[in-house]
Amino acid sequence: MLEIRGITKKFGDILAVDDVSLRIEPGQMVGIIGRSGAGKSTLLRLINRLIDPSAGKISFCGCEITHLRGRELRLWRASCAMIFQQFNLVERMDVLTNVLIGRVAHQGFLSSMVLHFSELDRARAVRALERVDLLPQALQRAGTLSGGQQQRVAIAKALVQNPKILLADEPIASLDPANAARVMETLKAINREDGITVLVNLHTLDTARSYCERIVAMREGKVHFDGAAEELTQARVREIYGTDGLEAEVDERVTSTAIPLSRPRQPARTEAA
Amino acid sequence: MGRTHEAIIARARSQVPAAFATPPGVRIRRGGLILLLAGLTGWCLFAFDFSPGRIVEGLARLGRILAFMFPPHLWQSWQEWAEILKGLGETVSMAFLGTVLGATVALPLAFLGARNIMPFGWLRHGVRRGFDALRAVEQIILALIFIRAFGLGPLAGILAIAVSEVGTCAKLFSEAIENTSKKPVEGVRASGSGPLQTIRYAIMPQAMPVILSIILYNFESNTRSGTILGIVGAGGIGFLLADRINAYRWPEAWSIIILIILTVYVIDGISARLRMRIIGRMENVQ
Ligand SMILES: Nc1ncnc2c1ncn2[C@@H]1O[C@H](COP(=O)(O)OP(=O)(O)OP(=O)(O)O)[C@@H](O)[C@H]1O
Ligand SMILES: [Mg+2]
Repeated sequence: MLEIRGITKKFGDILAVDDVSLRIEPGQMVGIIGRSGAGKSTLLRLINRLIDPSAGKISFCGCEITHLRGRELRLWRASCAMIFQQFNLVERMDVLTNVLIGRVAHQGFLSSMVLHFSELDRARAVRALERVDLLPQALQRAGTLSGGQQQRVAIAKALVQNPKILLADEPIASLDPANAARVMETLKAINREDGITVLVNLHTLDTARSYCERIVAMREGKVHFDGAAEELTQARVREIYGTDGLEAEVDERVTSTAIPLSRPRQPARTEAA
Repeated sequence: MGRTHEAIIARARSQVPAAFATPPGVRIRRGGLILLLAGLTGWCLFAFDFSPGRIVEGLARLGRILAFMFPPHLWQSWQEWAEILKGLGETVSMAFLGTVLGATVALPLAFLGARNIMPFGWLRHGVRRGFDALRAVEQIILALIFIRAFGLGPLAGILAIAVSEVGTCAKLFSEAIENTSKKPVEGVRASGSGPLQTIRYAIMPQAMPVILSIILYNFESNTRSGTILGIVGAGGIGFLLADRINAYRWPEAWSIIILIILTVYVIDGISARLRMRIIGRMENVQ
């Protein structure tokens, strides 16, 4: 279980994340929503420890992770894989190497300097690529792939990290609807089949509703709503996105990038885990 | 008709006087500057004893020297050819070794001078001023110093090229490293990489094509400047050239110059083509 207690992050005078507390059960798929600048990305970075909190604690399965250093920190980062809006792949390297980078925390220093990976790691990478349907592109340069394909490479890389948690920071914001749906389906499949906890930042409410059993809404660094998708009423939504007359921002159809789903909505599996 | 024009002009003149006449202050400054430049040029010509007579006289002699180019001197024995070719080979090898040596030393230093790698401002600035100091000293001066220390010959030349190369390459490499995208860095770091692994996986693939192309270009330019090093005795074809000129063997000197031009031309061509391929590969990837 991931437990966040009173986590706060200041950038100069800006309170990006303000006293956020959350408990996230294993195997949950949580959508984090909120307007631009609400602190969604910062929260995920804090969990992965790409940045350090100004105050507060994060623990995972009873183990405090806010003070990890060196090798332990690197192993923590590996065990909560991160996926970015801009994919953040090494575009000049081939797809396979990009996926293999997911093993970097377990790789020896010299092997990494000469880009050597064990046969087992290679096999893992091939299996992960197969799972995201990118085996034919394995030896292509990552930068030559389409956005949707690059994001799936990022997911394959996350998979070989063998993570406990998957953090996805607006994974579909730069994708067209068809690719967006495919990426969300893949995340959902990983969540269901591997029991990996998924925390996903989303710009679009309807995507959050259709894929996530639990929705956390942030506003000005604080958690403004935390509950099941059904409890997120129109009035609540208006509160989250502000009441400055920006109706369009609240209209789910306008902000939508997802194509309609035929898949029935998953019941919450909080209790099962 | 004329009246209306005059009226328009008069009105505009009263609105923006500066649009019709340069203010006296500006005119005086402009005149003063022109006088100053003219005076300086005149004084220099006088001080260096320039006179039309000397120029004409010199041009005549230049013509005679140029005339020695035709027909080009062709060395008769293999031995003579071997000496010249060995000199050329030596210059190219000096440029190659010096560039490789300098670039090898420069690469790790470049990371210390790059803003995105080295967070400590004072250390970074210190390292950068060091690069500047190395670049401020001309290769030929370095060559003279190394000749004193290591004696005449190619070793001094190689060291001179290498040392000046450290300064130039380190600065350019630093910039190549700074111009890399942060996104892959974040992606690799988020997977749990250590600092050196991050450099290897995220920075090197981005910076390496640029760095290779810089090395090739510098090799090319060092082949050119390497000929000069020979003239002061630091090995290579320049030594043979200086020798022929001092002995007034102009036809031979011209042939050597032509061979130097050809060599530089060939190396330019090869390196330009290689650089195009390296950079071209980068563009394919977007
Ligand atoms: N590295 C940083 N330095 C300074 N300020 C930052 C930094 N990162 C984030 N911030 C600030 O923190 C606040 C929250 O940013 P964050 O990126 O977490 O928002 P977000 O909810 O992800 O927004 P978006 O939907 O636009 O991605 C913003 O005001 C932002 O300007
Ligand atoms: Mg964000």
